[in-house]
Amino acid sequence: MDIFGSFALLLALAVTAYAAVAGTAGILTRKPLLTRSARNAGMAIFPLVTLAVIALEYLFFTNNFSMAYVAEHSNRDLPYFYKFAALWSGQEGSLLFWSWLLSIYSFLALWVNRRKHPELMPYVGVTLACVQSFFLILNNWVASPFNVIAAAAAPGGVMHLVARADGTGLNPLLQYWEMVIHPPLLYLGYTGFSVPFAFGMAALLGRYPGEKWIHITRRWTMIAWGFLGCGVLLGAHWAYSVLGWGGYWGWDPVENAALLPWITGTAFLHSVMMQEKRGMMRVWNIWLIFVTFLLSILGTMLTRSGVVSSVHAFAQSSIGSWFVGFLIISTVFCALAYWRNRDYLRSDNRLDAMVSRESSFLFNNLVLLAACFAVLWGTLFPVLSEWATGEKISVGAPFFNRVNVPIALFLLFLTGVGPLLAWRRTSLDSLRRNFTWPVVGGVIAAVVAFVFGFRDFYSAMCLFLGVFVTLTIASEFYRGARVISDKSHGNIFSAAVQLTRRNTRRYGGYIVHFGMVLIFIGVAGQPFNKDAQKDMPPGSQMAIGPYTLVCQNFDSVEKGNYQADRATIEVLRNGRSEMILYPERRFYPASQVTGTIVAIRSTPLRDLYVVFAGRSPETGQPVIHAYLNPLVKFIWFGGIIVALGTLLGLMPNSQAAPAERAVTAGALLPREAQGA
Amino acid sequence: MTQIYPLGRGMRCTCGLARRWGGAAALVGALFLCAVMNAQQTDRARQIGKRLMCVCGCNQVLTECNHVGCTYSHSMLKELDDRVAQGSTDDLVVQSFVQEYGTTVELVPPATGFNRWMWIMPVLLPLAGLWLAQRAIVKWRKRGADASEVAMPAELMERARRESRVDGDA
Repeated sequence: MDIFGSFALLLALAVTAYAAVAGTAGILTRKPLLTRSARNAGMAIFPLVTLAVIALEYLFFTNNFSMAYVAEHSNRDLPYFYKFAALWSGQEGSLLFWSWLLSIYSFLALWVNRRKHPELMPYVGVTLACVQSFFLILNNWVASPFNVIAAAAAPGGVMHLVARADGTGLNPLLQYWEMVIHPPLLYLGYTGFSVPFAFGMAALLGRYPGEKWIHITRRWTMIAWGFLGCGVLLGAHWAYSVLGWGGYWGWDPVENAALLPWITGTAFLHSVMMQEKRGMMRVWNIWLIFVTFLLSILGTMLTRSGVVSSVHAFAQSSIGSWFVGFLIISTVFCALAYWRNRDYLRSDNRLDAMVSRESSFLFNNLVLLAACFAVLWGTLFPVLSEWATGEKISVGAPFFNRVNVPIALFLLFLTGVGPLLAWRRTSLDSLRRNFTWPVVGGVIAAVVAFVFGFRDFYSAMCLFLGVFVTLTIASEFYRGARVISDKSHGNIFSAAVQLTRRNTRRYGGYIVHFGMVLIFIGVAGQPFNKDAQKDMPPGSQMAIGPYTLVCQNFDSVEKGNYQADRATIEVLRNGRSEMILYPERRFYPASQVTGTIVAIRSTPLRDLYVVFAGRSPETGQPVIHAYLNPLVKFIWFGGIIVALGTLLGLMPNSQAAPAERAVTAGALLPREAQGA
Repeated sequence: MTQIYPLGRGMRCTCGLARRWGGAAALVGALFLCAVMNAQQTDRARQIGKRLMCVCGCNQVLTECNHVGCTYSHSMLKELDDRVAQGSTDDLVVQSFVQEYGTTVELVPPATGFNRWMWIMPVLLPLAGLWLAQRAIVKWRKRGADASEVAMPAELMERARRESRVDGDA
């Protein structure tokens, strides 16, 4: 099976190279036959890489420990669920997984558009094939998942594979249900940005006029953005539930690496509206999608190369230089493509007023890019500093918090302001009408929070802005729904649903904004975190916030491929028993590693987070570390709202785009008003 | 003289009581102070611990590191407690860790030399971006200045927006 897998990968690379070369030849010679052939080759990559993936999974499920990758990332006792996930648990497998997901995206992009956009698709096919070929080169020669441990000559001269009796097992940190979903979501995000990148490159190289590439790629971009966002949030939830340090975001370089393309992707999703509506920011949009793609590659490099120290950087390997090479080549190619075709990217319209939706989008983009740069700078600064001074340094959370918190708050402010500003120009009267109540609501919320002890400047500011944005969103829904309910004489709620279905993109976007508000409010609780740690023999107590923890018992359980020391902690509140928590400390014999399973009592107001930290070296007593983290549930709930809003935004409108209504409304008005 | 004795006895008695109470209060005070000092030391250790990073490679704050298989954080925290108990200042404690573990142990490096750029750039670049945006705005506004567009009165724009509100994209 390993030979079968290797052969499938080799064939996939050959087919990819053909797709790139034949596609380029088809573009240059304008021969449709060549172009069609290249497209078919591009689609054939998917089944070939799929065969390689099936071969590797087969090796996992049959416990073939003669394969180095299988022996290092699986063992006989590993549940099947995790054997499947072991595919992406190491470098070689995750790069194969990258290739596979990219081949799925390529297949879908080429298949869905096989009879559309003949002027764009050959370029799209070539671009995707070039990206795919880089990863297939890595899969074939640099980090092959089909390498054997060793081969030895048996008597008679026949070569036999050396196999281990059992494997090392999957990294215990990854043996958690979220870890089965989190990496695929992240990778679906990373690879997904290749499609809008390919279309952007196609529009530029083909000098294809208009905003067509933006229209085509809007949903592709949203899908990739949605996957990446869910992946990042699921990773945060995993860190919170498994790592046991009481937090969900530690500004680890690999976490940051996933955040970077998400930030630029967010900027892109906003700025494309400027291009669609007003024909502006064409250069900006092209570069935004280029940068988003390049940051996706950088993210993969940071995770895989070990160039920065991180708890996630799974391997120190020479693969980093391959990625650096690819990044340099890609950047140079993007710059050249832009330079040769820049005249075609001129904006059509002018900016009429500073107080307008255009300028709010401009600032939104600027702020997002500032946040992206700050995160990138902090992530790579240790490498730069070592290169410049020869001294290794660390850049931790205080830097990122100090720089990014004000930026994020300004962004939250723009989230509230932007949608209420009109395209082209907004009058003072309109500003007053739209913003008075949201501002009043925000101030009242901040004052009430201050009175009840929420006394941290940034947290209070966040709450003020959160309420402000929520009220602006609510007012948008209300005003739109009122127009419909007045016309249809129906109730306001069904009118709001109708309104949302008529323009899923706009109102889905508002729901995403609301989800982000909830996430911000959840993060605002962080300055009020409390924690306490104590040696807790059975019968002892520890107080934290309104809770008293009583240690009832300690026992050991043996399950599947691990043994667990488990504490039984009764949680009392006002002397009344609320519940029993079971924090665990697990030991995995195959890899000789321990891991924690945190017990969390989660309510909307606060999380009681209890960790069995091990036994004290001095007293030999079990140590319990408890945290009280306010508002964390808002983060996860906000994430679900963001995902739902994204899904809604992907759905088609229930009625045809209401251009005719705009025309009706604007029939009495000059032409500019209709374009607004 | 005769009148002094009872008064003196009374006085002596009161003074003894006062001394006993004073002694007890001093003892309680000393114990309280000890307790407070201990609490302060623990708090101080925690605060200083938040300026340090665990050196096991987990990239976590020292006081928050319970990284799986971490062989450093426990001994580092103990060292931290010991050094704080010795009465060193915060900076001295941090410096002693830097000497022992290298500059990577500091969560954020001091803003000196090349490391100043770490703080300068996140301010400088957005400012440069702002300047570029301002230039772009000026260019965009200038572009249409001589175009034969009819300026739209604000009320008319408002009306157009109101009437097409339910339909426009965000």
